[in-house]
Amino acid sequence: MRFKTDLRNIRTFSKLVAALNSLEKIAWVRLDDDTVRFTVIPDTGSQVWASLSVDLIFDNYHLQSAEPNNTINLELPLGPLQRALRSAAGSNHASLRLTKRDGVPMLSMTIHAMTKDPGGANAATAAAAAAAARAGYPPDADDDLFPQESLELSMRREREKIITQDIPVRVLHPDTVETIMQPKVREPDVHIQLPPLLQLKAISDRFTKLALTTTTGSAARPNAPGPRLELSANMHGSLRLRLVAESLDIESVWDGLDNPELDPSQLAVPLEEHPSTAFRAAGPERWATVRVDGKDWSRVLSVGRLEGRVIACFADDHALILYVYVPHHDDAAAEDVVTYYVSSYSA
Amino acid sequence: MTVLNFTLNEEGIAVLHDALTCMFKFSDELCLEAKGDKLVLTTLNISKSAYVCFTFAANRFFSRYNFEGNAQYRDRFYCQLYIRSLLSVFRARQGIDPGGHRETTIERCDVAIDDGPGIRSRLIARIVGRNGITATHSLAFEPKAPTHAKFDMDEATNHWALSSSTLRQLMDYFGPGIELLDINTDYDRKVVNFTCFTEKVQKKGANSNEAVLKKPLHTNIAVEMEEFDKVEVQDKLHIIISVKDFRAILQHAQVVSGELTTSYSNPGRPMKLTYSSEGLLCEFILMTVGEKDAMGQKHKNPRANSAAPKGFARPELDAGSRRGSSVGNENRTQPGAPGASARSAARQKSPVRSRQPGFEIRPQPMAPPPRPLPPPSASEASDSLFVAQDEDQKWEPLNPDEEEEENGADRLEWNSNNEPNPSTMRISSYVNHPTPVETEPEVDESLASGLEPTQRLSEVRQFGLFSN
Repeated sequence: MRFKTDLRNIRTFSKLVAALNSLEKIAWVRLDDDTVRFTVIPDTGSQVWASLSVDLIFDNYHLQSAEPNNTINLELPLGPLQRALRSAAGSNHASLRLTKRDGVPMLSMTIHAMTKDPGGANAATAAAAAAAARAGYPPDADDDLFPQESLELSMRREREKIITQDIPVRVLHPDTVETIMQPKVREPDVHIQLPPLLQLKAISDRFTKLALTTTTGSAARPNAPGPRLELSANMHGSLRLRLVAESLDIESVWDGLDNPELDPSQLAVPLEEHPSTAFRAAGPERWATVRVDGKDWSRVLSVGRLEGRVIACFADDHALILYVYVPHHDDAAAEDVVTYYVSSYSA
Repeated sequence: MTVLNFTLNEEGIAVLHDALTCMFKFSDELCLEAKGDKLVLTTLNISKSAYVCFTFAANRFFSRYNFEGNAQYRDRFYCQLYIRSLLSVFRARQGIDPGGHRETTIERCDVAIDDGPGIRSRLIARIVGRNGITATHSLAFEPKAPTHAKFDMDEATNHWALSSSTLRQLMDYFGPGIELLDINTDYDRKVVNFTCFTEKVQKKGANSNEAVLKKPLHTNIAVEMEEFDKVEVQDKLHIIISVKDFRAILQHAQVVSGELTTSYSNPGRPMKLTYSSEGLLCEFILMTVGEKDAMGQKHKNPRANSAAPKGFARPELDAGSRRGSSVGNENRTQPGAPGASARSAARQKSPVRSRQPGFEIRPQPMAPPPRPLPPPSASEASDSLFVAQDEDQKWEPLNPDEEEEENGADRLEWNSNNEPNPSTMRISSYVNHPTPVETEPEVDESLASGLEPTQRLSEVRQFGLFSN
């Protein structure tokens, strides 16, 4: 079993891990030749299936296992991974490999980084010089042959450091993950592009706080279920967020949002028979509604940090799914999807 | 009468405040020691595993410095103070000038220490502000001789020096939940490794357990030897210190100066870290974890230090009754041996259980070889400052059973495994300069701070503490 890769788009990777980490501390990672999939399934709350193409976050990807498609299943703590990724931000080069230390499997991240020169001015130059030196010569090459010339005293020996971050992992047997299935949900009644998540989150959080202050007592328990928010959308570009509590009834409505066209080739049923067609025909007063837990919803919305477009699919009084499209920085056409199955409640 | 007075300018106050902030991370109290040419602040943490010493040069650091001395304190004056109260006195005071710019409003700070017969013992700090306000603070102190940890430079053959700014940035890579830092060299790869790890949640057979995923990040940083200003370290030597202490030191070192120098010998022996700037010398002596102990203590709390609660009030200093003029002490004490009898008495009265103290405590009478006295009981090793601190045990790196059997008679030492004759080791100078009996212990020249022993053997002998 082998897994070794260079890291790319560390910022995006780090943000994804941060978003997942807000829902659950431990993730199931499934690696195969084509995709990297992160799955978090909390005991209560929303679950996430993030299926990424390998080249979104990895480069020089080497994978080898006895399973079909070289599949490797890992369980890893997201906190340490996030911490390691954060320390890799701004590095010259970072790589990841599956290894063992003292017989315990580890995901070992190797980071080549510079520290900032106290003088500051020439740190970038020094970094570039070091990077060039690394590209030109193997790291173990005798540097004495090609001494780096100092431009000034303060950068005389500013060298690249090699940082190794070992993240504890468990290698999962295929049998143990066989039974974990991605949820199946019926065709949605309404699909709509959400407004900027920062805005939606700010208002949702405000509603949740309001509800917590009006219903005294439940706020004291940290793990108590949060207040229920009512989330509705129609096929005419509107999204409504509503809170009904003992003494108040408030709502926010967004208009002019996009209900994207469906691609008929991707549908199981002809477009005319798709539930959304009926909802569109029923006019703007036909809302598909779900109820979400305010605290859980806030954690879900932290995915906004990925800065991707988010499509919400409502199955009226049944389910809410968010598709978060993660753009590739170097390839505008390519997109990866992170799927949130938001836990919802019936009225 | 005024024993000591000095004046600090605005910058001096800031530097002093930085030093106090750093010390406060180790202990609640410090010892102030004044001599004609320098002012020394020292502190030892509660588990006696870390010792801090800041030396301020009288002629360079202060705008004015005058050590008077008196009958009691002829050559030096010492006292013990709460760091917290000093911090609040020497804090930066910022105001807003008419232009809206923030600027400190302090012009200077005059400090005077009054002590003597019939005079209230006080440290008086007058903060003179630019705005015409003068604030006067009066702090009580306790007459207590400083405790200096001992460090033998001749023994410490391993050295390295590196920019403190670089070191500080390296620490940023270390995640939360780690306790120990292993510094080791690899001459094959020409690097020095800084490895952070914890022993906390390590469980045997945790392989199949979810607990394995709860372990914190294990971080290693390899720094090329080329980057060091100096590396003279035995190959593959692993030296382990507390991350918390190291972090506290680096935070201060980064502010103070460019280069941090370390000296150490073997695991289980002290490590010295120093850096300096104009008029200020900063020295730290940290106890290192013995190699075998790192293995043996998986289920113990290896860091007494981290467990020592901040702001833990030690009963000794709390004693308001002990406060007051040090003259009170003087009356009971023979002139020339200030505080000695009080301390000795405390030693005799309070037999602390024989745990290895973190450091060899210097200001105590010691018998030179080759007629070794009965080794002092462990209670003697405890200065009254540190009586009955159970926390001591937590730092205890060694397997106690094993240790006591082997070296039961030599508890003052941290680890005497490699020493041929442990009983001769208590004064390091004797190792290198075997001197005849009855001479006074020589000043250990290797101590950069140059602090002499507190008492002379001839002075304490009369108290009948020694059989011969």
